[in-house]
Amino acid sequence: MSDTTSTGNLEEEQQTTSRFLTFTSDNLVFGVSTDNVIEIITNYMIRPLPMVPDYIRGIINLRGQIIPVMDMRLKLGKPFMEYTASTCIIILEIDSLHIGIAVDSVLQVQNINTALASPIPIENRQELTNLMLSLEDGTVVLLLDCEAVIRGSL
Amino acid sequence: MDNTTDSLLETFLFETNSLLEQLDERLINAEKAGSFTEDDVNEIFRSMHTIKGSSAMLEYQSLTEVAHHIEDLFFYIRENGMDTLDEEQKSELFDLMFKSMDRLGEDITRVENNQPLDADITDFTNEINSFLKRIQKKDADSSPAALSKAASPDVSSFKMDAPYLLRVFFEPDCGMENLRSFMLVTALEDKDLTFQFFPEDVETNSSTVGTIAENGFLLGFSSEKDAQSAIRVLKSTSNIHTYELISNQSNMQEEAGIPETAVPGKTNHTPPAGSTLLAGGSAPASHTKQSLISVNLSKLDKLMAVVGEIVITESMVIASPDLQNVKLDNFLKSARQLRKLTDDLQDIAMSLRIVPVSSVFQKMNRIVRDMKKTLNKDVRLTIIGEDTEVDKTIVDSISDPIMHIVRNSMDHGIEDTVEERLEAGKEAQAEIILSAKHTGSEVIISVEDDGKGMDTDAILAKASRNGLLTKPVEEYSKKEILSLLMLPGFSTNSEVTEFSGRGVGLDVVRKNVEAIGGVVSITSEEGKGSKTTLKLPLTLAIVDGMEISIGGNIFTIPIANIRQSFKATNEDIILDASGHEIIKCMDEFFPIVRIRDLFHMEEGFTDIDDGIMMWVEASDKSYCIFVDQLIGEQQVVVKPFPPYLNNFNIKHSGISGCTVLGDGNISIILDIGSIYTAAQEIF
Repeated sequence: MSDTTSTGNLEEEQQTTSRFLTFTSDNLVFGVSTDNVIEIITNYMIRPLPMVPDYIRGIINLRGQIIPVMDMRLKLGKPFMEYTASTCIIILEIDSLHIGIAVDSVLQVQNINTALASPIPIENRQELTNLMLSLEDGTVVLLLDCEAVIRGSL
Repeated sequence: MDNTTDSLLETFLFETNSLLEQLDERLINAEKAGSFTEDDVNEIFRSMHTIKGSSAMLEYQSLTEVAHHIEDLFFYIRENGMDTLDEEQKSELFDLMFKSMDRLGEDITRVENNQPLDADITDFTNEINSFLKRIQKKDADSSPAALSKAASPDVSSFKMDAPYLLRVFFEPDCGMENLRSFMLVTALEDKDLTFQFFPEDVETNSSTVGTIAENGFLLGFSSEKDAQSAIRVLKSTSNIHTYELISNQSNMQEEAGIPETAVPGKTNHTPPAGSTLLAGGSAPASHTKQSLISVNLSKLDKLMAVVGEIVITESMVIASPDLQNVKLDNFLKSARQLRKLTDDLQDIAMSLRIVPVSSVFQKMNRIVRDMKKTLNKDVRLTIIGEDTEVDKTIVDSISDPIMHIVRNSMDHGIEDTVEERLEAGKEAQAEIILSAKHTGSEVIISVEDDGKGMDTDAILAKASRNGLLTKPVEEYSKKEILSLLMLPGFSTNSEVTEFSGRGVGLDVVRKNVEAIGGVVSITSEEGKGSKTTLKLPLTLAIVDGMEISIGGNIFTIPIANIRQSFKATNEDIILDASGHEIIKCMDEFFPIVRIRDLFHMEEGFTDIDDGIMMWVEASDKSYCIFVDQLIGEQQVVVKPFPPYLNNFNIKHSGISGCTVLGDGNISIILDIGSIYTAAQEIF
């Protein structure tokens, strides 16, 4: 009896567990599903574009593909920080659209059980994130809502 | 299975469309000449035959029927010659043929759009039949003889002088046995086999259907090897029920005994049949099969994109900073070779998409012909430079605009009556000249008529009635008045006619042409005619651009938009009442747009003395832009912006796309037309 429940839990856990890439932006830890991540690049020349909101840093030429880059800090209304060696651009593919997000640094890839995540309290809610959870080591991860990223000029 | 049907259908549509197009052209030329030449008749006959055959395969009943009846008609004409028809019948024949072409064209369009075909075509086929009967009646003496000669010959009288016989039976009820036999014959001929076949007139005589169904289709081979390879062909042919190989040695001996009768009769007969076939459908058809293939346009687009990448990557490799200050003789040698090859590759890839404009031009022949009759105006269409080549996408998108302009010329441009023309001292026959020519990176297509020209006062009056005027009437120059014609909601003809002026006017022409990066302009002289000119880029994928820099950023301006670049000083700048900068250039005044200010850039020159002024033009807008410096001319591969950026209405901010430079950096392509609009919004 107890055996079955534990395996059931395990299965359930496997179903809701997926791999997330965690990164930081303005001292917050974010997670994005690895299903959406194409690659992580550093040190890229970003070509600024005229007449776009400031959080669109511009476009990059990724092996002939033109990809727009959005700055996480600016998108979340945080102060801009000059890009350093640890600044990364995470290239995401969302609904076959490619977009790069510039983040302070990339942490690691880890398994996160989304069933344990809870909605972010209304008063703390920010754009782009929909769920939050705390990991075993006590860090709080905000999960990125990919749909919201490409929803554009919100 | 679905896939094969699809590709079969695609081939069918492609083939039939091109056949119809060719026929249309032939008809137009023949009508001009007043009669069909022997060549025309044969060609029409063959084309109809092909259409009949292929549509029967795909079971398009109405297409088959119409083609079949036209084939019958032309069979008769081929046998009896065009001369048996009098003038009236000839013109009737032309009308009938044009109608049939339309009919077939409509059906093909229906097939393309997956709509059901019109099942009831008896009216139409009756029309063809009654015409055939009428011309047959005229020489009733000769036709029955000809027909009876063509009617199915007696099977028993037939003797094949080949040692190996193949008797082929088609599947019962598969229909069109004669056509299937003929296709079999063509397939065997493609394999370079020599053989005889019976009935011999399968291509032309539909009454052989019964004979073949009953007795099979006989193929005679001189060696067993040939017969065996024919069997291999049979195995891959569909709808074949059974076949048997008969060794015919005894027959041969028999025939050898009576050489006077059977063999000479046979040998006299076979070569002509064979040679007409060779000269006819099969030989040219197999030839085109080898030299032409149809390719999906999107594949070519992809190829173009990849080639563009290669060209860029190549210059990235060669200009790599790691290689600077290193002496690499062998590397440079190979690099030069690579550059040459990539250049060739780019040229070839470009040329794949380039097609002559003749297909569009030929369509105009037809339009002029039809309108001539309906409007009762005598007009000739002169076509110049129809072999001018342009990118396929451009050819496709100029068809409608040109058609519209030609219709306009026919309808409104040309005088209504001959008397009017004679009074004005012109030839009775009006002329419309459709011409195309290359000028460097552009193609110029113009439609010119020698009609009454445009009445500028009437245009102004109409424009003011429609509330299209933006400044006092006296201030409009002639050029401006003519460009009023292209504003939305302007149509000089108050009535709606069958051909033009359906409320949509030249504004649609302009929109379509501008969508592919072209420019429309109209010139006109009252009493002498008007001319509409389309300036089009050769291709959309690659643009000749001038690279300029502002601060550290590089922009590309299409060369086609640049009139002049010059150095200006602060003293040249004039401020208007509201503080906008204006500069005088070539005795005209132009507003200045500072790209740096427009795009809110942090870097870049502000002092007019430091930078450079560029006089640019796009359709009716002419102005100067101020930039830091010119870098140089370069061909660039245009890339659209990522779709995500459409959220920010980026297209309206004066940039049309981007391109990757040789060093991997991105340059943004300025859209001269929309920069001005964007700048006006800011001011």
